Amino acid sequence: MRTYVVKRLLIAGVTLLGMSLLLFVLMRLAPGNITDIIFESAGYVDEADRHRLEAELGIDRPLIVQYGVWLGDFVRGELGKSYRYDLPAWQIIKPRLPVTLELAVLAMGFSVLLGVPCGVISAVRRGRPLDYALRVVSLAGLSMPSFWLAMIVILLLVRSMGWIPSMTYVSPFDDLRANLAQFLLPALAVGYRSSALIMRITRSTMLEVLREDYIRTAWAKGQRGTQVVWRHALKNASLPVVTLIGIEFAFLIGGLIVTETVFNLPGVARYLVDAIQFRDYPIVQNLAMLIAVVVVFANLTVDLLYTWLDPRIKYGGA
Amino acid sequence: MTRPRPLLPLLSLTVVLLLLAVLPAVGQNPPSGTPKYGGVLVTSPLSATPSLSPHEESTIATVQQASPCFNNLVYYDPTKKVESGDTIIPELAEKWSWQDNYRNLVFFLRHDVKWHDGKPFTSQDVKYTFDMVRGAPEAKARLKVNPRKLWYDGVEAIEAPDPYTVVFRLKHPQPSLLLMLASGYSPVYPAHVPLAEFKNRCIGTGPFKLKDNKPGELVEYVKNPDYFIKGRPYLDGIKFVIIRDRSTQIAALQSGQLDVGGSGWNKTNAENAKSGAAKLVILEADSNVNDNVLVNFKRAPFTDLRVRRAINLALDRKAYLVGPRQGAATFGGALLPKPAGIWGLPAAEVAKLPGMGDPAKQKAEAKKLLAEAGFTPSNPLKIVVSTRALAIYVDTASWMVDQLQLVGIDATLEQIETGVWHPKMTRLEYQVALNLTGTGIDDPDAQLFENYRCGSQRNFSGYCSEEIDKLMVQQSQTLDAKKRLALVQEIDRKLQADGARPILGWAKQYYVHWPHVKGWAIHENSIYNVSRRQDVWLDR
Repeated sequence: MRTYVVKRLLIAGVTLLGMSLLLFVLMRLAPGNITDIIFESAGYVDEADRHRLEAELGIDRPLIVQYGVWLGDFVRGELGKSYRYDLPAWQIIKPRLPVTLELAVLAMGFSVLLGVPCGVISAVRRGRPLDYALRVVSLAGLSMPSFWLAMIVILLLVRSMGWIPSMTYVSPFDDLRANLAQFLLPALAVGYRSSALIMRITRSTMLEVLREDYIRTAWAKGQRGTQVVWRHALKNASLPVVTLIGIEFAFLIGGLIVTETVFNLPGVARYLVDAIQFRDYPIVQNLAMLIAVVVVFANLTVDLLYTWLDPRIKYGGA
Repeated sequence: MTRPRPLLPLLSLTVVLLLLAVLPAVGQNPPSGTPKYGGVLVTSPLSATPSLSPHEESTIATVQQASPCFNNLVYYDPTKKVESGDTIIPELAEKWSWQDNYRNLVFFLRHDVKWHDGKPFTSQDVKYTFDMVRGAPEAKARLKVNPRKLWYDGVEAIEAPDPYTVVFRLKHPQPSLLLMLASGYSPVYPAHVPLAEFKNRCIGTGPFKLKDNKPGELVEYVKNPDYFIKGRPYLDGIKFVIIRDRSTQIAALQSGQLDVGGSGWNKTNAENAKSGAAKLVILEADSNVNDNVLVNFKRAPFTDLRVRRAINLALDRKAYLVGPRQGAATFGGALLPKPAGIWGLPAAEVAKLPGMGDPAKQKAEAKKLLAEAGFTPSNPLKIVVSTRALAIYVDTASWMVDQLQLVGIDATLEQIETGVWHPKMTRLEYQVALNLTGTGIDDPDAQLFENYRCGSQRNFSGYCSEEIDKLMVQQSQTLDAKKRLALVQEIDRKLQADGARPILGWAKQYYVHWPHVKGWAIHENSIYNVSRRQDVWLDR
């Protein structure tokens, strides 16, 4: 097991290195740089001033030097300065991380709490009206983009109640109730799609497991229905579901851009888009790398969870 | 029969009159016109501001969010809808005087002004600011970008003979200087605060002090208790909440989370907001922002006047009004026309400009001109119409492509990412482009020099005429208002005849607010000079 973890950590390191290179190159392939953007907001371009600014920001140096400097700084935990706001990158990223994490965790929690039970019920009640109803609900979730759902939710709220969640961020440490009121709807809007996906996977794997001999044996032994379904069947059906949850969580971290925009939540996802538009290299590169780290470690955690869920799974040398 | 009691009617009348006199004072709100103190106004600006330094930016977003912090020497009276030399009021200067036949502009400063950090305001701050903006060799600081250096081209020196007197010495008479100094783009900075700090902080003399600035999220101000204008501001604070999504902005206004919305909205947005909350009040005004067509003068075949004129004729202005502008624009030449503007061409002349006549006839003439220039249906003129990848640009550019195709031009649309729009325009890397231009003040010096002078950094079409340049300088130095207006209109006529930068129309601006917001002023001939907000109050 230890060998496996070390191996995976090494692979993670290589993945992150490749990711850093890709990020760096992609940012430079986009037309223009921060000096263009600075002059953009000034409404004109002075070439001499532009070159002076490039030198000041260090973006006139060879690309390989720029890459080396950035990577070295990232490894040392030095995230540099935002070109646009002239503030330390960490000062800008830090307050935004909890916003996106809270939204992602709430959305994920909602999608698991709704998706798994609905999938199980749908499988157990296969072919009955409840199964059809739940499948319609899940199909709707898959068909509706979360940004569209978010906009509809906002419109319905303002039209029917004259209320929408707060447009300025409320920290849970300042006012937990107001914070939940602000986050619940965006979490539901995002989580609904994921819950539909989880429900469908849960249903199909449950249907397979429910046909297994050991389930039949459990029924024959006279075990209670809830015990058979929730303890024996669900645990064995959960491997693909856990995989999906891992992938969805990784997707959520980077994929909340539109929801954060519609609900005006000052998270990293929305800010990342701003930073890309402003060619704010330190912010984009470091934020994207942080997201990549989260994704890589989320996948690793999911893989390690397999051994707990299914003791038959053994990783090399364990 | 009762005996008459002559005193009773008199007594009753007296009691009634007394009651009428006393009652209004009991349990009644002050009349709606009496300002109330207190409350925090919440609004959403056009977008996040790149900094709190108006001298370094050219976006209304910065003016909106930085103006409450600063003061100018002079400012446009917010209560007068049309800005002009006659509506300029004192701010940091108590009074001013033109001397030596408009060669010296002398400001006498207030003695009771303090910066937000408690330091006294003096003439050295004024000298520091405007030496820096005009790029003087002796300037104590240098702006990273300096978009309005051109405004101060005529200033030879700035002197501060004593702490409360400042003299602007000019190379030649320039009455427009005072108007430029009154713009929202001309605040006075403190000499003792490093310039770089204005990226995220603000130390001003203005009615509000910066409380919090979360870049890209919000800018929050609190009342400046030491403000030099006694009794102002009325508000306890202003909060600018950055809401990127237009639908969310509208919903936030309708739900009451915003007191005022509308920056950058069009007529449809304003009407949508009101349709969901009938009590909302819509403010509509002209704006001194125009949709214009850039035709690259450095590239063939646009060097050919016939081609430029054909393009101009093909663009049916009435279709533009009902199409992309949804009925919310006015027509004019290079300067905003009356009644909102001061300097524009008379309506009778505007009606005769290319594109304003009968669409069928104009399009036929355009085809004829194109044929004369060698472009026929078998050999059509192929052009790429570039525009900024923002909805407000793309809508009009798409309409433009359609209009050009109607006269046989093979036009296609190219959307340029907003971040590289101005660099591309400055380098003339386009054929034909649809652009939006807003100028700080409704004044020929600001408008003409910036957009039409040979070599100006914002002359995006590459147009250059020595004759026009001479006329521009001449009008700038003309002191007689009537003669100057005649000169300006002569320039405008020549620019239109040259197809220098065809104007499609002048857009209207919209603000939408709840009835409890009082004193939220907008001006007809500029969007940039009315954001101090010291006179705004909340009636709730």
